[in-house]
Amino acid sequence: MADQRSNGPTSPGLEPIFAVRDLDVTYLTRHRPPFQAVKGASLAIAPGEIVGLVGESGSGKSTLGNAAIHLIDPPGAITGGSVWFKGTDITRFTEDQMRPLRWKEIATVFQSSMNSLNPVINIERQFQDAIQAHTGMSDSQCRARTAELLQMVTIDPSFMRFFPHELSGGMKQRVALALALALDPSFVLLDEPTTGLDVVVQKSILRNLKEIQRQHGFSVLFISHDLGAIMEVADRVIVMYDGELVDSKPTENLLTSDLHPYSRSLLNAYRELWGVPPDATTSAMVDAVASHQDEPVRPIAALTPGDETVAPTDRDVAAVESDLERRKRERRRSTAGSGEVVLDVRDIVKTYTRRRGFTSTTVDAVQHVSFRLERGKITALVGQSGSGKSTIGRLVTGVERADSGAVSFLAGGANRKVDVGALKGRALKDYRRHAQLVFQDPYSALNPAHTIAHSLMRPLRNYRKMNATEARAEAMRMLEQVGLTPAERFIDKYPHQVSGGQRQRVVVARALAPQPEILIADEPTSMLDVSIRAEILELLNDLVRDHNLAMLYITHDLLSARLLSDEILVLNHGRVVESGGAERVIEEPQDDYTELLLKSIPNPFAPAAAAG
Amino acid sequence: MALDSRGFALPDTQARPEPENPVESPLQEERKSRVSAPGWLAVIWQNRKSRVGLGILGVFVILAVFAPWIAPFDPHDTQFFPSEQPSAAHWLGTTQAGEDILSQLIWGARTSLLVGLFAGFFSTVIGLVIGMIAGYAGGWLDDILSFFINLALVVPTLPLMITLSAYSQITGIAFIIFVISITGWGWGARVKRSQIITLRERDYITASLFAGDSMFRIVFREIMPNMMSLIVASFIGAAGAAIGAEAGLAFLGLGDPMTVSWGTMLNWANNSGAMLTGQWAWLVAPGLALALLITSLTLINFGVDAISNPHLREE
Repeated sequence: MADQRSNGPTSPGLEPIFAVRDLDVTYLTRHRPPFQAVKGASLAIAPGEIVGLVGESGSGKSTLGNAAIHLIDPPGAITGGSVWFKGTDITRFTEDQMRPLRWKEIATVFQSSMNSLNPVINIERQFQDAIQAHTGMSDSQCRARTAELLQMVTIDPSFMRFFPHELSGGMKQRVALALALALDPSFVLLDEPTTGLDVVVQKSILRNLKEIQRQHGFSVLFISHDLGAIMEVADRVIVMYDGELVDSKPTENLLTSDLHPYSRSLLNAYRELWGVPPDATTSAMVDAVASHQDEPVRPIAALTPGDETVAPTDRDVAAVESDLERRKRERRRSTAGSGEVVLDVRDIVKTYTRRRGFTSTTVDAVQHVSFRLERGKITALVGQSGSGKSTIGRLVTGVERADSGAVSFLAGGANRKVDVGALKGRALKDYRRHAQLVFQDPYSALNPAHTIAHSLMRPLRNYRKMNATEARAEAMRMLEQVGLTPAERFIDKYPHQVSGGQRQRVVVARALAPQPEILIADEPTSMLDVSIRAEILELLNDLVRDHNLAMLYITHDLLSARLLSDEILVLNHGRVVESGGAERVIEEPQDDYTELLLKSIPNPFAPAAAAG
Repeated sequence: MALDSRGFALPDTQARPEPENPVESPLQEERKSRVSAPGWLAVIWQNRKSRVGLGILGVFVILAVFAPWIAPFDPHDTQFFPSEQPSAAHWLGTTQAGEDILSQLIWGARTSLLVGLFAGFFSTVIGLVIGMIAGYAGGWLDDILSFFINLALVVPTLPLMITLSAYSQITGIAFIIFVISITGWGWGARVKRSQIITLRERDYITASLFAGDSMFRIVFREIMPNMMSLIVASFIGAAGAAIGAEAGLAFLGLGDPMTVSWGTMLNWANNSGAMLTGQWAWLVAPGLALALLITSLTLINFGVDAISNPHLREE
């Protein structure tokens, strides 16, 4: 492993602008054993280099970034190693010594930076504050500089007089980026700067960043959990796993070089998400749902250095073809079992009216959307944030009522039609037995004060009128069904005692507990680490086929929609711009908007395809 | 990125246990402590301020419980020489009626703690039920309940308590507890209403709705356990206020003259011109005891805050 850690600058002649040597960061608390979050990390960033640092949540990547620039708070502390900036050891610098460096030399943008803009002063004043704190520029010079900076991040200078709340999330994050670059820093730390923004916005910010970096030549440490985003901008990718830097490879070699097993499994997770790209030039791309049955993602704990996993790249063409065929067979099977419509959404419209001051603005959240959910079929609603996809979810579950049009639940065939919009009280509760939700965030969907057993037993006791013993036995069975085996290990745990992926499995189990006909999954994987996403999607896929459920899969991610669903509806501003079979929509998008969405997804394999 | 209860981003490493093997995580024990009783006591104990508070409160509790054995004399015993200065026999002197002040002080702790415990409990329960239902239900039910909450907040409490006590035929500590409870629940209700308004939007509450739970179940079984620290904090606050209110009423002569309490002691001291006769201990001792007891409760609340907000924990 020692050789893998020698992350010297790419060009040996260049003095690194920022370097970390054998850094240890430990969280020292009085009441718990010390937790070492960063273990002997060494990295060096050459002038003008963009280094990407990728790792899962909990891998220590943010701790490393924060500790390197003295932003780590007690109980965390640097317990070994050193940090170097422009040839000076800044490890033991005091806050007073750091202050002149901050912003002027070392700038940062965090995921939350867009929310750190002061809400009571306008954009121009924010820049003025930052610039005048470090330089003696006059107000008019400041304004000129601000205009220049805003143009750099492709925001019209006229937005200068706006207040932060008047800008969208993407614009605010751009402003934060421009603000970080206001004093021409030589090193910029970006910690998940585009996480939480949707793909189209992310794409444009990343492209922007790369362009500015090329013009100004500063160095960047880009921290993200999203390998795709990192490969889009970084010159070199460093992979962090369990507090250690396990790989450091130039981006263009990442796909072909010999990697640490963790890095490989990370890449494989992406391959699964991508499936066969539209221009399948290599045999590398295997259809994920099908291949998954042959080669489950191994738990990372099981991987040890030297452990060889067979990457899909190494598979022979025959295996790939058989996988594809298997998937096709599965499709046929699923289409054969379907046909029975359980939910009929016809021409629904939902408009929100917001009153501000004397004027009221209306937002057309959903405009004339129609679709049907069939048993054993997965329908995906895809769109950016604000496209109205979540509103449709709320209309379908009866949380809100459509202004016009109808959502009809067809219980036991078309002869019993229930108008979901008109349901109230008791009847709504009865309907919810049949239409259950899978939540987006497994960290908030389970009550932290109760055990998993409690969460699973409630629907069983309420809807299926089981007594406590029966419900507990059934809850165990449900856990086994979602792959949490043995159930005894999980049933009496509190949600915080299990991992994110396991929580999401519990959430799925709870949704299935009342034996619903319809499953509505609103972004069920967007809060999970990439390596877990595929598992959850596979689980949902299996359950839908096994239980012959109708599922509405709401997502911003066209790729996962393609993996999971039979049909895709693409939404833009509340309107369905394209709909059709999943493969068709992805491979031959008819609408410009669908194409834009597809192009915006960072594709780590695109450069490889181009090279090969 | 994970958020803590106040919406701050936590460092990744702390927010989530190791993804691959969370069951054996070292954080497990600590995190569990937020739910089980001994755990949250440990969090309170970690805080230096609340350790001091618990110490002071502990002394008062011991005094109150073992008053018959600790107090040197019967507090109603009038056989001593009246208006005596502090001496070896009577550490704090005697009253004008010839009672031992130290014994009264020790027995007075009983009254204050009883009132604090019960009046604090009842006003917390009233505030809890009204505030939680108002906050969760919303709509017209909220409007009606909020009206009463606002009424309880704007009605001048002290005059109301005085009027109730002055006109009632019954006296005694139970009645004092009743008066304090029904006048003192307004703030608790308001605070809990606003807390539940933020909690009811959580996904797990929507999930309970989809699991078919009833409103009462959701409010008291799903939401309430998540606001225990707030409830405990408001109980402690209410207990402190109740102790103060009891002393105030008794000082004004509206308490039960037969009960020995710090308030009645102050009342007698004031009526007998303790200041003029130079009996400072008669005035200072009950006043200081009250101040210490209420301070100890306030100090304990620092630790209670740390239960819901890990950032305040002294690590």
